[in-house]
Order: sequence, then C-alpha cells, then structure tokens
Amino acid sequence: MASHIHPNDRPKQPGHLETATFEGKNKVLGFWLFLGAETVLFACLFGTYLALRNANMGGPTTQQLYDLKLVGLATFFLLTSSLTSVLAMNAMNRLKQGAMQFWLGVTVLLGLAFLILEIYEFVHYVHEGHTFTSSAFGSSFYALVGTHGAHVTFGLAWIMTLMIQTARRGLTYEMAPKLFVSSLYWHFIDVVWVFIFTLVYLLGKVG
Amino acid sequence: MSENTNQKTTNEMSHKPDGTAKHIFAFIVMIALTAAAFYLVATDVVPENMILPLILVFAVIQVFLQLFTFMHLNQKGSAFYTIFMIAGIVIAVVSALGILLM
Repeated sequence: MASHIHPNDRPKQPGHLETATFEGKNKVLGFWLFLGAETVLFACLFGTYLALRNANMGGPTTQQLYDLKLVGLATFFLLTSSLTSVLAMNAMNRLKQGAMQFWLGVTVLLGLAFLILEIYEFVHYVHEGHTFTSSAFGSSFYALVGTHGAHVTFGLAWIMTLMIQTARRGLTYEMAPKLFVSSLYWHFIDVVWVFIFTLVYLLGKVG
Repeated sequence: MSENTNQKTTNEMSHKPDGTAKHIFAFIVMIALTAAAFYLVATDVVPENMILPLILVFAVIQVFLQLFTFMHLNQKGSAFYTIFMIAGIVIAVVSALGILLM
C-alpha cells in the first residue's frame, strides 16, 4: 500500500515536521489566513446574536432556556479535546505514531460527546418552542451555535479521515502538515466555543 | 503495507523537550478560568454589572493561552500567522460592534 512512499519522506529526527518542507510551511501559512477570515465570520454571527437575543417574540427567554450544567459539561469535553489534540501533535513531532493516533482517537471521542450533547440540547429547545423560525432570537441563536456545531462535525470527519490516511501511509513529511492544520482547526473551534459559552450561555443567564 | 519504522526511534528522543508539561499547565489554567466564569454566573459573589467584564476577561485570557500555547504562536517564525490573526480580530471586533450598535 505505501510502497510508493520514498524512504526520504519518512522523518528520522523529531522536530517541527509540519514546517519541515516548503509545502508544509505554505499549508500552515495559508491555514492561518483562513482562520483570520473565520474569526470575522463568527464575529458577525456573534454581533447578530447579541443584537437580537432579547427579540424572543413571546417564546422562551435565554434565562428560561439555558441549562448551565449541560453547557458546563459540553465545555469540559471540548476543552479537554483541545488538550488531547495538542498532545497528539507533540507525539507526532516525536515520531510516535501510535501515541498520536491514540490521542487523536480520544479527541474524536470527546468531540463526538460534545456533538451529542449539542444535538440533545437543540432537540430539547425545539420542544420548548425555541426554533430557527420562532423568533429573531431563535434564528440568530441557531445560526451562531449551529455554525459552530457544523465546524465540530466537519473537524471530526477531517480528523477521522486523516487517522485512516496516517494508518495507511505512515507518518510522512506529507502527512505532518495535514495533521497539524487539522489540529489548528480544532483549537480554533475551541476558541470560538469559549466565546459562545461566555457571550451566549453565561451572559444569557446574567440577563 | 505500512511499515512501523517509528517504534525503534522512540528511545533516542525521549530527552527532547516537547512542551507537554507546558500544555498541561495551560489546560489547567483554562479549566480554572472556565470554572470561575461559571461560578460567577451561578452565584452572587460579585455584583451583576461586574460579571460580564470579568467573564469577558477570563475568555480573552483563555483565547490567548490557546493561541500561544496550543496553537504555537509563541514559536519563532510565527510573525505572519500573528499578523493574519490580528488583522482578522480587528475586522472581527469592528464588524461585531458595528452590527451590535447598529
């Protein structure tokens, strides 16, 4: 399967494998440009939500809807997955493929747990009469939190497919930047979540 | 068939610092900041008008920890990454405040 990979493509020394090649450097650089743009996307959704969060049209208010225990648990899952993601990158740069795959697996499981909690939360809200079309609050809430959830879903699919690719090709100079930018993406998802739990859920409870 | 060349190299690099301890420390600080933010909202230990500024400060510290430890912006050669992120954050703040205060 991996017979077309030249032995020189397999790193012998630990270090920053993700920027060891010109292609890798460009991938990481381009990915940071993308993350800068993503920041603007989410900021617009945050601004919209904060402007419309009290326009609930007689439906449930933020105080009535949000459950801090559930959000706290979801936050813990996502924050821990960010740590396991960086541990996977540390293992990668020490050329420990098995440890890297293990930590990526833990990251995926924690991300899945987060996603399940979020789906449960959304289903519960819909039963409470808080839907995408019920009010401006509903539209802006699902647009913001849903866009984040879509990022989590995409990130999980990305990491899982990279795990399969690494299992088949091994840890090469070509794989390392791919794994590294997927890890950057995952940290960015956590960064966005920090603002969601602060500005959406905690602020919603304060009023 | 993927060969497992990686296993035999593990011994020679165990002395290399990899930042794992630093990352775990950053993680503990993040968990503490998150717990503190939830605690402030769930209880009345600070006046209500002080809660938002405080939890916002906690969030910003957490984000800087993520960017500079987990996302490695503290490393050499990260100047362009930082410029992209600062440009993104500046436009982001202007956009968000613009929509909010419209």
